[in-house]
Amino acid sequence: MIENNLLAIIIFAPLVGAVINWLVGGRLRNEMFSGVVACGSIAISCIVAFYIAFVADGGALFIDKPVLSHIWTWIDVGGFRADFALGMDRLSGIYVCFITFVGLFIHIFATGYMHGDSGFYRFFSYLNLFMFAMLVLVLADNYLLMFVGWEGVGLCSYLLIGYYTNQDEPRRAAKKAFVMNRIGDWGVLMGIFLIFTLTGSISFYDKSVDGVQVHSVFTWVLENISVAEPFTWGAIIGGGLTSIGVLLFIGATGKSAQIPLLTWLPDAMAGPTPVSALIHAATMVTAGVYLVVRSNAIYQLSPTAMWIIAVIGAATAIFAATIAIAQNDIKKVLAYSTVSQLGFMFLAAGVGAFVVAIFHVMTHAFFKALLFLGSGSVIHGMHHEQDMRKMGNLKKYMPITFITMATGWLAIAGIPIFSGFFSKDEILYKTFAADKYFQGGYFPGNEVLWVVAVITAILTAIYMTRMMIMTFWGKERFHDPLPGEEHHDDDGHDDDDHHHALPHDFKPHESPWVMTVPLIVLAFLSTVGGLIGIPYAMSSLPVVSSIVGKEANHFEHILEPVIAEVETPTAIKARENAASHSPEAVSTERWLALLSTVLAVVGIGIGFALFRNSPLRQMPKILEEKWRLDELYNGWIVDPLTRLSTNTLWKGFDVGFIDGIVNGIGGSITEASSYMRGIQTGFIRSYAAMIILGALCVLGYFVYYGIRLIG
Amino acid sequence: MDLISENLLTILILLPAFGGLAVLGHSLYWKDDGHLKWITLGFTVAAFLISLLLLSGTPGSNGYMFEKNIPWIQAIGTNYHVGVDGLSLWLVLLTTFIMPIAVLSSWHAVEKRPAAFYVFLLLLQSAMIGVFVSLDLLVFYLFFEASLVPMFFLIGIWGGENRIYATVKFFIFTAFGSLLMLVAIIALYYLHLQATGTGTFDLLTLLASLESGKLAFAAPVGTLLFLAFAISFAIKVPVFPFHTWLPDAHTEAPTAGSVILAAVLLKMGTYGLMRFNFPLFPEASRELAPIFIVLAIIGIIYGALVAMVQPDMKRLVAYSSVAHMGFVVLGMFSFTEWGMQGALYQMLNHGISTGALFLLVGFIYERRHTRAITEYGGISSVMPLYATFFVFTTMSSIGLPFLNGFVGEFLIMVGMWKSTILSITDSANWNYIATMFAGTGVIFAAVYLLWMVQRIFFGKLTNEKNRGLKDLTYREIGLMVPLLFLMVYMGVYPKPFLERSRDTVVAIQERVMRQAGGTVDHDEHTAKAE
Repeated sequence: MIENNLLAIIIFAPLVGAVINWLVGGRLRNEMFSGVVACGSIAISCIVAFYIAFVADGGALFIDKPVLSHIWTWIDVGGFRADFALGMDRLSGIYVCFITFVGLFIHIFATGYMHGDSGFYRFFSYLNLFMFAMLVLVLADNYLLMFVGWEGVGLCSYLLIGYYTNQDEPRRAAKKAFVMNRIGDWGVLMGIFLIFTLTGSISFYDKSVDGVQVHSVFTWVLENISVAEPFTWGAIIGGGLTSIGVLLFIGATGKSAQIPLLTWLPDAMAGPTPVSALIHAATMVTAGVYLVVRSNAIYQLSPTAMWIIAVIGAATAIFAATIAIAQNDIKKVLAYSTVSQLGFMFLAAGVGAFVVAIFHVMTHAFFKALLFLGSGSVIHGMHHEQDMRKMGNLKKYMPITFITMATGWLAIAGIPIFSGFFSKDEILYKTFAADKYFQGGYFPGNEVLWVVAVITAILTAIYMTRMMIMTFWGKERFHDPLPGEEHHDDDGHDDDDHHHALPHDFKPHESPWVMTVPLIVLAFLSTVGGLIGIPYAMSSLPVVSSIVGKEANHFEHILEPVIAEVETPTAIKARENAASHSPEAVSTERWLALLSTVLAVVGIGIGFALFRNSPLRQMPKILEEKWRLDELYNGWIVDPLTRLSTNTLWKGFDVGFIDGIVNGIGGSITEASSYMRGIQTGFIRSYAAMIILGALCVLGYFVYYGIRLIG
Repeated sequence: MDLISENLLTILILLPAFGGLAVLGHSLYWKDDGHLKWITLGFTVAAFLISLLLLSGTPGSNGYMFEKNIPWIQAIGTNYHVGVDGLSLWLVLLTTFIMPIAVLSSWHAVEKRPAAFYVFLLLLQSAMIGVFVSLDLLVFYLFFEASLVPMFFLIGIWGGENRIYATVKFFIFTAFGSLLMLVAIIALYYLHLQATGTGTFDLLTLLASLESGKLAFAAPVGTLLFLAFAISFAIKVPVFPFHTWLPDAHTEAPTAGSVILAAVLLKMGTYGLMRFNFPLFPEASRELAPIFIVLAIIGIIYGALVAMVQPDMKRLVAYSSVAHMGFVVLGMFSFTEWGMQGALYQMLNHGISTGALFLLVGFIYERRHTRAITEYGGISSVMPLYATFFVFTTMSSIGLPFLNGFVGEFLIMVGMWKSTILSITDSANWNYIATMFAGTGVIFAAVYLLWMVQRIFFGKLTNEKNRGLKDLTYREIGLMVPLLFLMVYMGVYPKPFLERSRDTVVAIQERVMRQAGGTVDHDEHTAKAE
């Protein structure tokens, strides 16, 4: 067992930063101070995280055992044990590294973006608190502590979405986000109960604490369950691993905004843009993927749950992509794009390509954080205008933002070399060839999912191109009134006066260096970040292998040990298939890669053809209205429940029925004393006296009767 | 010191009553009301400090600390028998802890007859402590009843507009329950007399007789007696459908009354179930557990749904109490160590979180004299600190991990999940289904509380009357800080609390489950894990 107490610094540095900013920053109200504390604490986390991941004890990313640190025993009741203990293995190591790294640059960006805001210290206090919770989530060494982080990020998300407290839209969005997350949390909780019931543990790792041997959930599963659960609907309610898988995935749908709990994420854009970049694109929303991959030993043995994940992922991906294509708010486009990309990640996890899912999490963190920060830079330059219909030709005014965002655009569209290409291409291939690599053996309908994913990929290229065109190309529309209405469609921003009418001499400006430097760093990562995970099919191409070597998928090699070696025949076969690199598989993958490159180019081409000359092209109403999903939820769930509670339960049952009975019984007493109401003094006493007298009579009767009954 | 520690519980019972006398004497002699609150505060703080000595105790052979057993009315064999164990220890401390806060909460609020107000508060404290430490059924009953009277007057005299209706309802419900219990207590006396030749009200003697088989209940008698006790306690908790007195009583009570009601009085019901019902009637407890589990779950969901649509802040919090106490009942009736420990812990948590919520509602009520949610909106801009405290307390009540509510609710749900009490047939896992339904309460809690927070604090400040609202005073901050501290401490480090209650709770649980031939869960579990 390798222990390293430095792990605690990773999580506690941001917590200390949050507290300092809350207590001291609130008094000083000095932006320099708050900014340095916030960024400094994340920098400390980041350095320690990289140190433990790469250097200390041989580097957590390169050794086979996790680095552990026991801090205290949180709950220990009747054999149920939850430690506040951290563990960094290869999976959490990768997560922690990119979270702290991307987080650091988003913090730096935010010091520029939030400049001049009266709640500067409060913002950074929340943001640091978020980092604490997120790091607890990924570093936790057991399910319950992970759940602490899980809920913690939900809380911070709530606080940060609702950051602009005096507006209407953020407060609604914040509550909605929290509640929808809570619905998912229910699943996680139930999943944890079932895990504990089946395995007698909730720990991720085998360890010994205070002389007590704690066994890992996954070791237990691998040792005790050697047969995968059947691929049937019945397995879902069977109370076995499939049930766990489905319950945990309910949690993932909440946190990662998948069908049906997806509507909170687009609304969450009401928060400040750095928040959208950090929480609602790069880190928190990928927690669901983390949970699924962390539990892969369970999922590999429950093909039904895997299949559900893949289907939901693919459905969410295409559903959100269709909406993204019709949005006019730049952040809403990116929000739906995030939902769609998260769908891709779940598709990957669902078909058993866990490593690829994490790979896409990481590349997505780079390019989506970049795109969000870029949009933040645009919004900043446009004096808080978010409607792309009022933008246009910004490349002239904001060249750095334009170029950096363009790399993000090419990355997400899937142009080769850029990071998104490798991860997305892998997902498409693994879906296409699911029957080969799926641990459950047979995967019904993978071709359909592949087609859906391909269409989504084209849609992705189209909507991103539309966004780029509306924002950066074409003619300037800063002063054009919006079609049909004078108002911005977000009525929540009404009190920002400068929001509606930009001054006549308005010129957008490029953002200061604190904002552009993070953009450049992230643009660099979005461009080359994918190169650490070049799939074998491509690295074995003669030209490529002469540069990077034949085995260039370092990412997969690092994460491979995280994927449990399940001993079912189908899983063994899947592993063999993956390792063998048979010529036909390699050639299929190459052809598919070529296809997806062509598709990306075609998508971009369609985008240009459609929107280059008419950026304000009217999109289908139903897409613009998000398939009316919110209305559906309100009309069919929220409103009926409110009516039921008010009319039937409260006014009907409580006030009508129960109180009716009680008042009937008490009626005589009340009537008897009602005529005394005119008397002010001593009224209560006489009233009470009467009741007590009456009560004594009843009491006497009962006593008498009671004695007779027994005697 | 010895004198104090030998008579510690008696001192804790009598001290507040003496405080009441002091207040009365002071007010009659000097005719000056200004000092009364200081006297009251002094006595409650003193009681709290003395009560901390309870933590120094070591349990005797029968599990009780600071036990005292003096003959009282020998003719009917009733003794003044008091003692604390893991079950009552924290509840006594909760009582002594919450009282100074309750006194401070009404620092400026009491204009009408302050002397009487403080006397009632102090008498109430004596009665409450008496309830938690009595080991003699008759003494327990007297304290149980005695606690009703001061609360009755607190609501009836210092309450809101509808106080008469509320007090009548409060009284009808609780008096009805008390009568049933009295019958049961007397019945126990006679049954013991029949079986052994001596009648007794002493809990430990009764338990010993049951244990040794000298006393046994024939088929319907045990169930009937169980029900008589249980209904009485269920009304107090309150368990659905006996809950409708609670929203009225809470809404009409003055702030101090609401705080004490939520923090301590409701606990007398759940405490009673664990102290008397389970050990005395283990079989009936097992048999009727499914009914209580169903009622608890209905209470959790029902309370939450009705809370969601309440227009009045206090009424909303009151209904949330119904939901939260549903969790406590659920945990107890799971008859697992997790569930029962969680239930006990949740009693404390609910006392602190809901007590704090009532305090907070009281703060704003004193400023604006309205509790209608629609009267507010956007007041975080004028009362930022208040908003922070409120959101914090809300999070504790919602059960956010690392705040107190989570530990209790989580253990309760683990307990229910692993419970064998619902295994009527072998096929269906009713315990899973029960937990899944109960778990929805966690979602609803977020809905109703956050919706209230959203409507009160955020958005634009629309009501002009709220523009001049002053943020919290130092007194109010001082009241909240200990509560907030406990919320964090109990959420992060529950070990010291759970450790002290463990033995008692496990003893009760084993007593109930042993006779069922059922195994104790965690043993079976460790065996499996190895």
